[in-house]
This record gives sequence, structure tokens and C-alpha cells, in this order.
Amino acid sequence: MPAPQVESSAELVRRACRGDMGAFEDLYRQHVGRVYGLCLRMTGQPESAEDLAQDTFVSAWRSLPGYEGRSSFSTWLHRIAVNAVLARRRSPQGRNEISMTDDSGEQMDFEAEGRLDEATPIDIERAIASLPPGARDIVVLHGIYGYSHEEAAEMLGVAVGTCKAQLHRARHLMRARMGTEHAT
Amino acid sequence: MSTLPFGPRNPPEDPLLAKAAELPKDVMPQRDLWPAIAARIGQAGEPPAKPAFRWPLALAAAFLVASVSALLTWSLLRDPQRASPPVIAEAPTAGADIVPVRYGPNSGISAAEIAARDALLSQFRDALVTLKPETREAIQKNLAVMQAAADEIDAALAKDPASGMLQGMLAGTYKQELSLYSTVVTKRDGLTRRT
Repeated sequence: MPAPQVESSAELVRRACRGDMGAFEDLYRQHVGRVYGLCLRMTGQPESAEDLAQDTFVSAWRSLPGYEGRSSFSTWLHRIAVNAVLARRRSPQGRNEISMTDDSGEQMDFEAEGRLDEATPIDIERAIASLPPGARDIVVLHGIYGYSHEEAAEMLGVAVGTCKAQLHRARHLMRARMGTEHAT
Repeated sequence: MSTLPFGPRNPPEDPLLAKAAELPKDVMPQRDLWPAIAARIGQAGEPPAKPAFRWPLALAAAFLVASVSALLTWSLLRDPQRASPPVIAEAPTAGADIVPVRYGPNSGISAAEIAARDALLSQFRDALVTLKPETREAIQKNLAVMQAAADEIDAALAKDPASGMLQGMLAGTYKQELSLYSTVVTKRDGLTRRT
């Protein structure tokens, strides 16, 4: 018996544009992991990430007729999610959320956790989570999700040079916190 | 439907970034978010809203901001003597009625950017007292134009939340607002040095 064929995002988008909520739910099931993962890594807050993932899919549903397929559906969703995260940070609610770093990027309670191991994925995640927001954003978008500097800069609304500088800063901070001496 | 490839174009050279690239892209939330999403987007079968054609309005508003701001900046800088002497005695609270641009829920202007703007705004309000009432009025009108643009772009972003161009237009409005404040502060500092 052949395995059931997974419908492509493009076909699901076409059906969802016609008001097919079932198709949109399938799109949600296909993409929620990446959207939630992005939100979680950018915010470091599981509850906020859940809210932002919901907001992303609600915005996507409302904007589906405007999706022209110039980027992949996943990239399009990520752009919406990044905008939602940035808007959240600007809001009074977002400003009050606890961060592992202060505004200057200095770690607040990181030393108590001990030195991190770069071979351990969970420690890589913790090192990324400890970065100040600007540096963390570019590591998440460029380092984890593979967007180019140009794409990440456009998503974050900053100059490409700013992205590169933030990545340089992030690498320096991560190396310091990992206690490694890797130089590139 | 053409699509761009997803994922790293080239393997990262930095070992830490290489490790980051190996992290799982998908992280599942602890609960199913779909019921709440379905409740928010309405009854089953209701089609998504057709996008309102707001781009021209947003584009026109952004263009107007750039034009009016450039004109005002030119006017402020054209004749430095016109603004002196300071009119502090006439308007001790000249800056109190200046309302900065409010950026809507769809804009990506960060808290740090708002904080930077607010820091400059404080200096701007102090500097306003050195300007003639008609110049202050022009500045208020300029800020109203920026507010209208920010509102239009925010409304367009609500329909097209993934648009980098709209985000860029909003960032441009933010930069124009900062530029306006900066021009006034710089002008005040210039007058102070001369006197």
C-alpha cells in the first residue's frame, strides 16, 4: 500500500486562499515547528513564542491572498514571525520580559551555569539564548536557519553591515562563554 | 510558483556557527496551537480577506515624509540667523505639545530604537525653545505627516506582514523623525557656540 502523499505547500496555499481551513491547518502542521522554533530562539520565552507563533499564523491567514510565491512559504512565514517578534519587543509587554542579558549584552546569571560545551547542542542553544537580542537574531536567522546576510538584514530591517557586525560580536561572545579559542 | 531555496547556501566556516547550523530547525510547542488559531481566524470555511490595496497610500505617505522632511531641514539650515535670538521667555514649554511618532503594532521598530529616539527627543524638546513659533508649527506639521505615514505603512503591513519593502519604508520614516530631531538639536548647538 503506497504511503499517503504529503500535499505540497503551494497546493495547500492555493486551497487555503479559497478559504479551505483544512488546507491551512495542514500548512500549520507542516510549518509550526520552524515558526515556533524561530520565535522561541529569538525570544527565549516559551510562552511568548507560543503567542507569537499563533500571531504569525493568524497574520498569514489574513495575508494569504497577498502571498505571491516569490519566496518559499516557509520563508514568507518566517518574515511574518520576525516582524511579530520585533513588534513584541517594542511593546510594553515585551520590554518587561526577562532576558538573560542586559541591554549592553552582559550576561546576568550565566556564570552560575558553568562553562558550556560546544559539542553539546543544548549548550549551543544556551549560548545563543544568552546573547543580546541583536546578536542573537542574526545567529538564529543566519546561523541556524541559513538565511544570507542580505535576507536577514531585510527581515530585521537593518543594514547588511549591521548584520555582519552583530554576527562578529555574537561569535566573540559565544566563544568567550564556551571558553573556546576558535578563530576564523 | 517559483521559490527560493531554504537553508544554508554555504557551510559556515566558524565551528560554532557550524554547530548552530546542525541544530534542529523544528521545535514543537508543548501544546497544540491550532485550536486557538482556528478560533481567531473565524468560522471554518470563511475565506481570508482580500488584501486592501494600501501600497500606493503607504508609498505616497512615505514619499511625502521624505519630501516634507527634506524641505523643512533645508529651511532650518538655510538661514541660521533667522531662528535667533532664542525665544525662551516666550515659550518656556514649547516642547511640551510635541508628540513623537507612534509606531503601530505591525512595525518592526525595536524597543532599543524607541529608547534611542526618546533620548534624542528630550534634547529636541529643549532645543525647540530656540526656534520661532512658526518654525515650531512647521515641525509639528511635519511630525503629523510622519504620523500619517507611519499609520498608512502600519495598515499596509497588517495586510502584507512579510513585506521587507514596507518595513524599509517604516524604518525610513523612523530615520526621518530622528533626522528632524537631530537637525534641530545641532542647530541649537551651533547657535550656542556662536553666542
